[in-house]
Amino acid sequence: MAEDTEPEELLMAELRIFFADVDPVPPLVIETAKASLGWRRLDADLAELLSDSALEEEPFALARGGHAPARAVTFSSTGLTIDIEVHVDDPERTLLGQLSPPSPATIEIQTMADEPLSAEADRLGRFRVRLPAGGPIRLRVLAADGPGRPPVETSWITV
Amino acid sequence: MISAANEGDDAAWAAIVARFAGLVWAVARSHRLAPAEAADVAQTTWLRLVENLDRINDPERLGAWLATTARRESLRHIRLQTREVVTGEDALFEAPSEDRAEQRLIARERNTAVRQGFARISERCQSLLRMLAAPEPFTYEEIASATGMAIGAIGPTRARCLDQLRRTPELAAFGIG
Repeated sequence: MAEDTEPEELLMAELRIFFADVDPVPPLVIETAKASLGWRRLDADLAELLSDSALEEEPFALARGGHAPARAVTFSSTGLTIDIEVHVDDPERTLLGQLSPPSPATIEIQTMADEPLSAEADRLGRFRVRLPAGGPIRLRVLAADGPGRPPVETSWITV
Repeated sequence: MISAANEGDDAAWAAIVARFAGLVWAVARSHRLAPAEAADVAQTTWLRLVENLDRINDPERLGAWLATTARRESLRHIRLQTREVVTGEDALFEAPSEDRAEQRLIARERNTAVRQGFARISERCQSLLRMLAAPEPFTYEEIASATGMAIGAIGPTRARCLDQLRRTPELAAFGIG
């Protein structure tokens, strides 16, 4: 290294070598990232993550006895809102969902596993599904009424 | 490159991953998440990028977008961590370090000095320096996105943190910095 290099830069270089050695990006993380492109949305409208109670400040959660309410997540696309509650009973997760406006539909729950799980929303738009484990999921909603409507897919969330 | 990836071009996507995988990982690890949790954060961050490829108009802001997303996911993980105790001070070092045969004693001693010195500085400094030490350096905009710090505060804070580190007995003894 050049003698006139700032000491700060020398120390930064030292840190960079250190972390590359003790904390490199695990190869599996890179492989998974590369495989993510296979989850492109091809034929569906996106229902965006509108709110997630897990991202809200809850300063009084502990004061209320430390028992946090179920996580509530809302997705929205033009014409469809999807609300879900996530109940955790390790390792399982149970999702309770509500479509608005209410209508019957088939819900696919896509996970990193090969086969998606599926659930049926009743005519009030309610559905329930149990997942064997946590991890990233997204929902794909196929409305029962009419082939004209494109499917809706939500953003990915980790449950 | 972003639009090519959006068309399904694996090579373009692989190039984006190669460029930013270190950044996403460093953001998650700088939030003191254990490796398994950081892996979840990284996975969700990359899936989010895939679903938003058609809306990222400014390729120059891709790193900042990823940093913001990884930060939000890291915070969400921390908030949902009800069962496990938030990882302790050595969380940054839980990744198994391969004990490569050619690793020299001197390198190990330097690593030990850096590790011990690093553990002494403030958490805020540990987080910032962990990010700055990503293999591909962050831009200040990316650091601001990953930390919530104002861009103008980053330079002075970085200097203060490096100074803290340099003054730790371990690093001073080793003559590093």
